[in-house]
Parts: sequence; C-alpha cells; structure tokens
Amino acid sequence: MHSSHPLELFPGRTVTLMLFKCVRNPAELRRSAMGGQITAALINPRMLVDPFQVIVAANKAVHLQTIGKMKTRSLNSEIIFNLSPTNNISEAFKRFGISDADDSVLVVLVATGDESQTLADIKEKVDGEQVPMEELPTLSDVTQIRKLYKVTPQEEKMGGLLDSVVCKMATKDVM
Amino acid sequence: MELEKNMVVSEFLSKGSVLKQGAEARVYRDVFLGRSTIIKERFPKKYRHPLLDEKLTHRRTVQEVRSIQRCRRAGIPTPVVYFVDYTSHCIFLEDIVDSVTVRDHIAATRQRSHPSPTLVPLEPLAARVGRVLARMHDEDVVHGDLTTSNMLLRRSGDGEAELSLVLIDFGLSYISALPEDKGVDLYVLEKAFLSTHPNTEPLFQKLLESYAASSKKSSAVIKKLDEVRLRGRKRSMVG
Amino acid sequence: MTVVIGFEGSANKIGIGIIRDGEVLSNPRRTYITPPGQGFLPSETARHHRAVVLTVLQEALQQAGLTPADIDCVAYTKGPGMGAPLLTLALVARTVAQLWGRPLVGVNHCIGHVEMGRLITQAHNPTVLYVSGGNTQVIAYSERRYRIFGETIDIAVGNCLDRFARVIKISNDPSPGYNIEQMAKRGSRYVELPYTVKGMDVSFSGILSFIEEAANKMLASAECSAEDLCFSLQETLFSMLVEITERAMAHCGSQEVLIVGGVGCNLRLQEMMGVMCKERGAKLFATDERFCIDNGAMIAQAGWEMFRSGQVTELHDSWITQRYEAPPTQIIPRCHDQTTIYSRGQQPFQHAVPV
Repeated sequence: MHSSHPLELFPGRTVTLMLFKCVRNPAELRRSAMGGQITAALINPRMLVDPFQVIVAANKAVHLQTIGKMKTRSLNSEIIFNLSPTNNISEAFKRFGISDADDSVLVVLVATGDESQTLADIKEKVDGEQVPMEELPTLSDVTQIRKLYKVTPQEEKMGGLLDSVVCKMATKDVM
Repeated sequence: MELEKNMVVSEFLSKGSVLKQGAEARVYRDVFLGRSTIIKERFPKKYRHPLLDEKLTHRRTVQEVRSIQRCRRAGIPTPVVYFVDYTSHCIFLEDIVDSVTVRDHIAATRQRSHPSPTLVPLEPLAARVGRVLARMHDEDVVHGDLTTSNMLLRRSGDGEAELSLVLIDFGLSYISALPEDKGVDLYVLEKAFLSTHPNTEPLFQKLLESYAASSKKSSAVIKKLDEVRLRGRKRSMVG
Repeated sequence: MTVVIGFEGSANKIGIGIIRDGEVLSNPRRTYITPPGQGFLPSETARHHRAVVLTVLQEALQQAGLTPADIDCVAYTKGPGMGAPLLTLALVARTVAQLWGRPLVGVNHCIGHVEMGRLITQAHNPTVLYVSGGNTQVIAYSERRYRIFGETIDIAVGNCLDRFARVIKISNDPSPGYNIEQMAKRGSRYVELPYTVKGMDVSFSGILSFIEEAANKMLASAECSAEDLCFSLQETLFSMLVEITERAMAHCGSQEVLIVGGVGCNLRLQEMMGVMCKERGAKLFATDERFCIDNGAMIAQAGWEMFRSGQVTELHDSWITQRYEAPPTQIIPRCHDQTTIYSRGQQPFQHAVPV
C-alpha cells in the first residue's frame, strides 16, 4: 500500500511513503524517530496537498546532504524543514512534524536499495491503520495550507494549490 | 568536493536532451520527480573572467528564481520552480506543455494571412501582452530580456481566446520601481519585436496602448521609453 | 572591371582607398592624434583632414599605379560621423567627381565596415558585431535587410575606452584603445565593475562614471595598478559584447560572427569571441587593423557594390549626416540586395561624362 518514487538525480535512491490514520501511539513514534529507532521522517499530513510536495522536499534534502549544506542535523529533519515556506526551523517542526495529539502520520523513507525490511519494521511500530496515498487529501486542511504558505487567490487560480506550495518551498532560500 | 558537488546534476543532464543553447544557459527537457521538467543549466562561460562568470551566473540564477516567485504571487503566469541547485546553477522548472512561443505564433499567423497581409488577427494577442507586462511592471519586476521568444502561449481550453500567456527566461530580471528601468525594458522589447517581426509597427503600438491603459504607473514609463528612444538617435560620435 | 575610390573621414582618421573588383589596390590613412587627456574636436579634426587630404589622395593613386582616368566611380562617407570632418571629405569627393567626370556614391559608414569585413573574411551570412568609437551594434541579416538586433543604449564601447584613457592620461598614440590593450596584458587583478546587459542591448555609461569616479582614487591608494584597471575594464566591456552577440546568434540561429570597427582589432576581444564561438560550434571572422579601423577601402568596397547595382548619388543629393536616421527600427540594406528596392529609375553611369 506504500508508494515509491525514484529520485532521478540520485540513481538508486527512492522515496517511499506510507500513510496511516487512527494512530494511537503518536508520542511513542515521535520518541522513536528522535531516538533513531525509526529511520524515517514522520510528517503530519494536515499541511500536505499531494505526495509530490513531499518528494520535492526529499529531493532537496538529499541534494543538500550530498553537498554538505543541510540546515538541520539529519536527512529526515531536513525533509521536514524543506516542506516549510519559511527558514525558521522550530516553526517547521511545529507545523510539519507530528505531535502527541495527532492521529494520522505520513512516513517518509529515503532508501538506497531494498527497503522492505525497514518498511516492515516501521509498520510494526505504528499502532494505526495504513491507508492508500490517495486518501491524503481527506486529511489535509486546505484553509490552513493557504494561510501557512500565503497563497494568494490569483496565484492559486493560475495553476492550483500544489504548484503554489511547491514553488514557495523551492524558492524560499532566496526570498 | 566542488567537483563531486557538480557531478550529480551534470551526470543526470548528460543523459537528457538539449532543447536549445541560449546565450547563457543550456536548456534540457527530462523527467524529474515523475514530471516532465525543463532544466536550465547556466554552465561556466569560458570566455569570461572566472570571478565575473561566477558572480554573474550566481546572481542570475537567484534573480530568475526570485522574479518567478514574485510574478506568480501576483498571478502572472510563469513556470513553477521545482528545485534549484545553486552549486551547478541549475533551475528545474515546470514544462509548459502544449505551448508555442509568441514568436512562432505571430510568424504562423502572418504566414496564413499571406496573400493579404493583415495584423488584425494578432491585435488581441498584442493587447494581452501589453496587459501582462503592465501587471509585471506594477509588481516592480523588470524582465531584462523581453522578446517574443520569451513568451509562451499555452492552450488552457478550446480556441484562441483560451490561450494563456506565460512569461519565461527571467535570468536578466531584477526588482526595480524606477520608470527608467521599465522604460528600457519596453525599449528592449520594441527593438526585439520589430527586428524579429518586420513591418509590425501597428501591432507594437497596440501593445503599448494596452500597456498604458492597464498600468497604474504607465505614463512615467512611456515618457522614459520616449526618452530612451531619443537617446539612441542623438548618440554623439564626438570623441 | 570596375575601379572605385573611397573617401573616409567620419572621425579622427582620414583614409582614401581604391578597390578593383574586390582587390584592394591602395589604402593609405592618417590619424589625428591628440595629447594624452584630450579628445578630438570636430573643427580641429577637420583642419587636420584638410591639411593632409591631397597628400593622401596622391598616395592612393600612386600606390595603386592608377591615374584619375582609371577610376569609374567616387565613393564617400555620407555618415554617420562628426559633421565638420565628414564635410571636408565630401567636399573633396564632390570636387574630384566633377573634375574627373565620374559618378558619386554616398556610402553609409556602418555598411562600409560590414561589407569590407565580408569581403576580407569571406564570411557568408554572419552576425556582425560592429564596435568603434561611435558605434556599438549587433547586426544580423534577416528578410533582405541588415537589422540591428542589439546596440548600446548610451555611449559606444570605443568612446568608453577613449574616455577612460583620458581619465588616467593614457597616450592617444597610435590610439587609446591600442595602448589600453597593451597595458591590459600586464594587468592581473580583476576589479569588479558594473555589468549592464539588457537583452541584446548594453549600457556603458554606468561603467564609465564608476571608473571616472573611482580610478584615480584606487590608483592613489595603490589598491590596484593602471594595468589592472585596463585589464578589468576590457574583461568587463568585452564580456558584455560577447554576451549580446551570442544572444543575437541564439535568437537568429546564426553560426557565424564577424567583428568589424576599430575596437574589433583588439586581440583580447577576438580571443573571447573565439572561445564563445567554439563553445557553440560557430565560426569567427575578424580582420586586422588595416581594415577594422576606419579606412578608405571600405567605403570604396561598399561604393563598388552600390555602383554595380546601379545606385549613384546626384550631386544635389550628396549631403552628409551626423546622426542615425530612425531608431529604433533602423534598417541597413545589404548593398547587393538593394537593387530591387532602390534602383528603380536609376541607371548606372547616369552622371558619367565622357573624358
């Protein structure tokens, strides 16, 4: 039920996404991620429009890791940071990381080669219901997304919310 | 390290197809993150002093990204930026599929009306270009390289009326509120327009009229345009 | 066989050249050189030209081994250029045309450069960079006309170099540009200067005012040497020129570049243009100082083409002009394509009086 996306710039590397809802152990998951028992980024799906948004963030994270210019300490935290429209790190974690009160989570795993064991391990740890990626829109809060990314109506009208969000993410370093 | 940094993208691009080589960048089309993407690579120009080259290349990459986002925020169609690599100076942009350049569109339209040449069918387009440029200038974005090749027409529905205008190639752009800069922007377009499409003076006039009617600050800009035109004429040869 | 004599004197060079069907028979020239720190003024330049014009004319005929009877047509520079010197040469050209009973042809100075460049280099259909003290243009041929795709929106590149030379008192002998080029070879530190490219156009006035303001201060504080400034100025100006040339090439789909005009004999400019051409698989054509710098043969060559296509200038029409006619949509017709455009009703030898 997971979806995998190759990163064309980094042959062999893929981004794998798993979506869970009705999660009953968010606090435990968050601790495991911070402690390194879960080697994936755990993201609150409320601020996500589309999986593409996450893949764009993951690609940028791997790029910055490769050139040694990450702004945060790990690849997984860098993915979370890259999703944010601003350069404020703690703000990014607040908006895109999971909190103990959340009941849905998107697991983002950047892997080289066979990641099936890692995926199985993570699935094991999540006490919730895995759902297909297609359900992501039902979990997003479009009003909050517009507000957070400061998407203007004329901008959204032009090419949709996803394009506006992605462009803001990709250009934030120089704005 | 520097070498390794640049390897990733250049290796990727080496497999892609070069669409065109402009004056400062090679343009590729490839699939990136699952989407058809235009990649603009500002490769080092060996004729330039390395310090000048690095400065220009970096500045232009940054300016392009900035102006695109500024235009989009104002609802002026420009391609979405997916990713920027500031080490190899590559911008990954939305591929505006099913589009033609305004240049080709004008040429084709004139070709069709060949036996009885008329510019009338192109007037709505000229007016639209004027309106879009007025909005861009009202946002204080100066494009820096306006030509009919740097404007795309995208089909967004049925029929000609549904073509939307997309501005591209913001490498020489910058942010400025000065009427002088905007006037020169129009001057550059005027010359490119009339040298690329001979005998279209009335069409460009239409464009300017529409610009003047749409922009809140147009009178100062048009005044500067007239000044810049005159400057060319009065250039002194005296050493 | 058609023999044409050309009179050029639009700026501080006076040149008279003779061309016979593409062959340069003679091309003598003199330059009015001013002291360091000074430019050339129209009236003084005209005085210089008046003083030497007959000597140069005699040289031209002698070196060619011809007499006035061998000349078929008299060409002169109509403009653009400085009024007084232009007038001096036009006067001489008109006089000899009447004395010898030969038709007169008024030639556009820019076309002279381009046609001479094409003759010497055999470039087929190039994008032309025309760079001199009074002009900076990127010209390409499209739809049966030379069209100006790019140009300076303020001063010419040669003017920028000359005025910089005056600021730091570089000698005008043989020319400020030549001396800057030699000094630049010994410079190494790159000093950042304004860089202003607008599409296919350039602007040099910002660079000039920056360097006018900063040069002597920088030299006084030993921040850089005069050689470094020459080097940096050339690197900056020429990068801009190569960039707009390349942009015009990309725009027109052209694969040839021809550099003409006085600044065009600068070897560093040629080198940079060559690197750009190599990168795009294009070909560079350039000439040396004999033909790059204003000369009489180039006027003779353009005159030869016009004369052969049936164009002559009536005596009452043989005016001169200092300025460009009608920017921004300036059009320069290519001589041998003009026939259908301009020759209606005009017959060759219209003015010819049997000798």
